[in-house]
Amino acid sequence: MALQPESGQNPLLDGLRIEPTPEPTTLVIFGASGDLTRRKLLPAVYQLSRGQRLPARFSVIGVARSGMTDDEFRQQMHDSLREFAGVDHPNEVSTALARSLSFVQGELDDPGLYERLCVKMREIDAPDGVLFYLAIPPTVYGSVIERLSGAKLTTPRRSTGWRRVIVEKPFGTDLESARALNAMLHSHLEESQIFRIDHYLGKETVQNLLVFRFANGMFEPVWNRRYIDHVQITAAETVGVERRAAYYEGAGALRDMVQNHLMQLLALVAMEPPITFSAENVRDRKLDALLAIPPLLENGASSTNVVRAQYTAGWVNGTEVPGYRQEEGVNPKSVTETYVAMRLHLDSWRWAGVPFYLRTGKRLPKRLTEIAIQFRRPPLHIFKRVSSSAISSNLLIVNVQPDEGISLRFEAKLPGTRMQLAPVMMNFRYGSAFGTAVPEAYETLLLDAMLGDPTLFARHDFVEASWALITPVLDAWRASGATEIPTYEAGEWGPREADAMMGADGRRWRTL
Amino acid sequence: MSDEHLNSLLPGSTELSFNEVEAALAGVLRTRETRRQSIPRASTGTLVVVGKPSQLAPAIQALEEVDKASGVRAILISEGTESRPTVWISDSIVAIDGLAPRYLNNAVAALRLPCMPAIVWWRGGSLKALKDLTMLADRVVLDAENPDEVWQQIGAFLENTALTDLRWTRLTRWRAVLAHLFDLPRVRAAAPGFRRLTIEAYDRPGARLFAAWLVASLRWPAKNIDIRTVSGGGPSILKSVQLLGDPLSIGIRMLSGQDCLEASIEGDETDVRIAPLGEATLSAWIGEELAVRARDRAFEHALTALQELYA
Repeated sequence: MALQPESGQNPLLDGLRIEPTPEPTTLVIFGASGDLTRRKLLPAVYQLSRGQRLPARFSVIGVARSGMTDDEFRQQMHDSLREFAGVDHPNEVSTALARSLSFVQGELDDPGLYERLCVKMREIDAPDGVLFYLAIPPTVYGSVIERLSGAKLTTPRRSTGWRRVIVEKPFGTDLESARALNAMLHSHLEESQIFRIDHYLGKETVQNLLVFRFANGMFEPVWNRRYIDHVQITAAETVGVERRAAYYEGAGALRDMVQNHLMQLLALVAMEPPITFSAENVRDRKLDALLAIPPLLENGASSTNVVRAQYTAGWVNGTEVPGYRQEEGVNPKSVTETYVAMRLHLDSWRWAGVPFYLRTGKRLPKRLTEIAIQFRRPPLHIFKRVSSSAISSNLLIVNVQPDEGISLRFEAKLPGTRMQLAPVMMNFRYGSAFGTAVPEAYETLLLDAMLGDPTLFARHDFVEASWALITPVLDAWRASGATEIPTYEAGEWGPREADAMMGADGRRWRTL
Repeated sequence: MSDEHLNSLLPGSTELSFNEVEAALAGVLRTRETRRQSIPRASTGTLVVVGKPSQLAPAIQALEEVDKASGVRAILISEGTESRPTVWISDSIVAIDGLAPRYLNNAVAALRLPCMPAIVWWRGGSLKALKDLTMLADRVVLDAENPDEVWQQIGAFLENTALTDLRWTRLTRWRAVLAHLFDLPRVRAAAPGFRRLTIEAYDRPGARLFAAWLVASLRWPAKNIDIRTVSGGGPSILKSVQLLGDPLSIGIRMLSGQDCLEASIEGDETDVRIAPLGEATLSAWIGEELAVRARDRAFEHALTALQELYA
């Protein structure tokens, strides 16, 4: 054949409709027996395998405290696929994938574990591109990273190899701990090796927000203070604390949702156009957006800008549910917030005077996450003499979950001889607009990490900028010594104080 | 089947005249909404299927499935001699029965969704009509039983629009699994040593297209290509592919369940790859094509190589 292999390029990839596949990869999952691995990671790896998105050589090594043989880990994968991926019986893909799984048991702070991991990697001739996934509590990140580094596992054996680490949230519990975590990570790894995962960023609609804004000529010109009245970002959950009471008691909604997910969504809405769609450009512009937010507590304005609350007993999804303080594992006198609403401003030419309202809560009536951009009303209601109804504002809604898509509300004339106006909604839904299924966020993000593309991952400075906004609020709450905080009944849309915050601005939360 | 009319393929459809189609389509949407049937909210384009009634029958089910999954306007046109054809409309398909080939492009021009891509799924018929359609269509997906004649003329069509072939779509997984083996440096390094390509195929034109793609991609001076046609098989075009050489040989074969491929390097069990063939239905293949907007250069290069190989 005339093929010249010296180019190093794969000549058969040209024109293939499948996306690029990563270099040969070993995925090492710390916390391999945990919930995240079973619910998300193993199903994501399976789906990537089904879609031929995994590299030609691919291995998974599970690491956990609990003892498992390789075969037991493989069986765990089959069980996980049955439960969370609808694969009732092992098929040829899952069976082949299972053969690439192996397991190493040990205590995470035991240097012996890392020696055994090295041995296992040699034993299975593991590819030199290694992605470590820390699906473990953040309290042990330091210990794991230090030992990985000590065992030289964070350095590739060959120049073509690579080492990357995926870190799950929370990235710290306040600004100080986030800085300490970043410093610890940076003492062993380059920033380019660190992938801080926020699964919201893997969602199709969140990525589409960039396309929507920057690949269409008609939206960006109106994406500013001149045309936009305000922005509402809502992340509502129907669930309570479930089995996470121990974690949630120390976290609360502000740390659990606002610092990461909601700030990411806000940044994507508010960011300036990046010069190119490169990881650094996109993340630079997102950081700029966050840095433009003045401190929430400036001039003692805390009480009007942030509302916290806790759910009491109520009725959600057709079932009576207990109040937060009655949940198993929760301190009966807890003042942990299960709901937060806040008002933010950005000091920028684009957004001066446009409030961003954020709210998130547990035990709300619906599970949904959306960004609603409410436009200003037309300057004159020329139809008021013939149509008594007020004109609704145009509304652009980005549905992040569960029904990913974009909707636009505009005024239309009702059919008939009279000039009657009514708002209508034009909907674009990922579920029906295209013939292909939307990938799970973890599939997208795992693949990106294997490919070394950090665009959809949080950078250290973004994390710290976010904590810099949030931490003073946490400090103020702690300093207040409050033994009671506002409440809302489970199954309602939050406390009256949140409505009052909007009402003071002459606005209302969207009815969802 | 040759005397079959499209209305027999579309049970429950309503007959109407051509100029009533747009109004009828709006009525269908209203009815479906009233019945609370799911309707796609976003229009993604117009899909025009052309062929004889017997060639269109298998496409109908695929169109109905595509309609559920994506917002395309589906138009079915059977070629005939009529200048005033009968038009049938069902919940999701407009069928134009027996239209004279010279008016095909006029019908499509009138019915395509404005400002959205129009894709022609060509299952056979007049090449002159096809050429006219290429002036209108954003993309043409060829799907003829015997593709040689249309493949030979593809150069002229490519001046007007992007083209592909459904056989090419059906080869995607085979190409991908072979390409993945070439991700391995030692396979790429061994490529100059490949001497013989052996293909067992259920569909000879498809096998030739696959061979031509390899020849074009590897810049191989095309010798020792052996295509054996075998009977049976399901929706797959190929049964097995072997690339024999020194120092290594590689092979792909369909596993017994007919839904997965196994790619392997001879004598090396560590690099066996199992890959699913994917959903092997007309609707899945055409759905895949609907998502493509750009010209498929790899297909075009493969077809050029095919002409040279089998000139």
